Amino acid sequence: MVPFGGWEMPLSYPDGTLAEHRACRHGAVVFDVSHLGTVRVSGPGAFAALQRALTNDLSRIDPGRAQYTHLLDPDDGSVLDDIIVWWVDPESFDVMPNASNTARVTEALAQEAAAAGTAEVDATDVTGERAVVAVQGPLARERLAAVSPEAAAVSRFTVARVPWGGTVLTVAGTGYTGEDGVELAVPADHATALWDALLAAGVLPAGLGARDTLRLEAGLPLHGHELGPGITPLQANLAWVVAWDKGPFRGRDALVAEREQGPVRRLRGLVTDGRRPPREGSPVRRRGTDIGEVTSGNFSPELGHGVALAFLPPDAVEGDELTIDVRGSELPTRVVALPFVKKR
Amino acid sequence: MHLPDDLRYSSDHEWVRLEDGKVRIGITDYAQDALGDVVYVEMPEIGAQLEASAKVSEVESTKSVSDIYAPVAGRVVAVNSDLADSPERLNDDPYGEGWICVIEPDDPSALDALLDAEAYRRLIEGS
Repeated sequence: MVPFGGWEMPLSYPDGTLAEHRACRHGAVVFDVSHLGTVRVSGPGAFAALQRALTNDLSRIDPGRAQYTHLLDPDDGSVLDDIIVWWVDPESFDVMPNASNTARVTEALAQEAAAAGTAEVDATDVTGERAVVAVQGPLARERLAAVSPEAAAVSRFTVARVPWGGTVLTVAGTGYTGEDGVELAVPADHATALWDALLAAGVLPAGLGARDTLRLEAGLPLHGHELGPGITPLQANLAWVVAWDKGPFRGRDALVAEREQGPVRRLRGLVTDGRRPPREGSPVRRRGTDIGEVTSGNFSPELGHGVALAFLPPDAVEGDELTIDVRGSELPTRVVALPFVKKR
Repeated sequence: MHLPDDLRYSSDHEWVRLEDGKVRIGITDYAQDALGDVVYVEMPEIGAQLEASAKVSEVESTKSVSDIYAPVAGRVVAVNSDLADSPERLNDDPYGEGWICVIEPDDPSALDALLDAEAYRRLIEGS
């Protein structure tokens, strides 16, 4: 167990990170992701408050759908948090920030609700009331169907309420592994029963270690590494999360200025030939000159070699040959398109 | 936690097996469990002369990197090159196929300064 954002989380279960990683790419695993916050934003003013607070445009989707979005710093446009919004009911949204950001997001939503005007909005942190588990992998739906066929049928980026075991689950076709699957929010007092049922159905439990190697292979950013203070969505190749034309939102002005000038750096994927993992903080060099540093790096279990993410100058492009200094050894590396492992 | 009685141990969690005046070294079951899945092992060069406690190898897992130190001073006479493609042997068989290298010690009596199984057990259970 390791401390993570105020929670005690398992780094791995007895099978180990590599076995859990492979099970997710080729079978089905379940992660306990209860550390993700849930801020329930409800009321007639909820939609308007979220539109002002977050970068993406909820009018692109409908109730019963989920959307990936960002909360920006109002001054410099950097990504304070990346968030999944589950639009559960017409006037009720479950906003899911990262573990350490729940209070910050709740506060920002309250401010935007006040700024949006008169319509009533309630933003309540309900994280402690529920657990969330993510069932992921090519066999996730098949195995989950033995527990709940209705939950297994919830398609990608759809949100549904599903009766199960004397309670009601909120199920969304979302995840963070680059594989198909769903995430299930369950009232805390039914969480153990759901977990046990999933394991009995042949789903392997997986920990933070596999969650990190899976998201890295999938090229997905992790807050505190590829997103955070000083990093904008444009630098992280996530301009698609920004709805420029929906009206005002936090950080828009700073982002418009950056768009006009062009971002000074872009998130790139790097691959090495050997098994040695590039690590966070390792300098990336072009002909001996530092041009960035690794934000996340590891051994890719699926590819069998090192992979890394780094913010590099815009002129560092796919195919460029660079080096990564791993504790004094210059590892040759090459810029590649993301993701490292394609979603199936 | 598996701790063979016939080995000596360092406080840095290496094991040492005396074989015909040479010592084979690796990392303990405790060390491999703490490291997690090993994905890369940096090998010393055959012929390298090492001071006691000098870095002899780097072992990298999916979560961290650990330096491996020479339990005794001496010259590297063999390395486990199979680890290049199968570093998971450190996890699967830390006292057997997961050995790292063989050192010809400058002074074989230096082994006397290392821990026996019982002393090493007290070390890890106290930590």
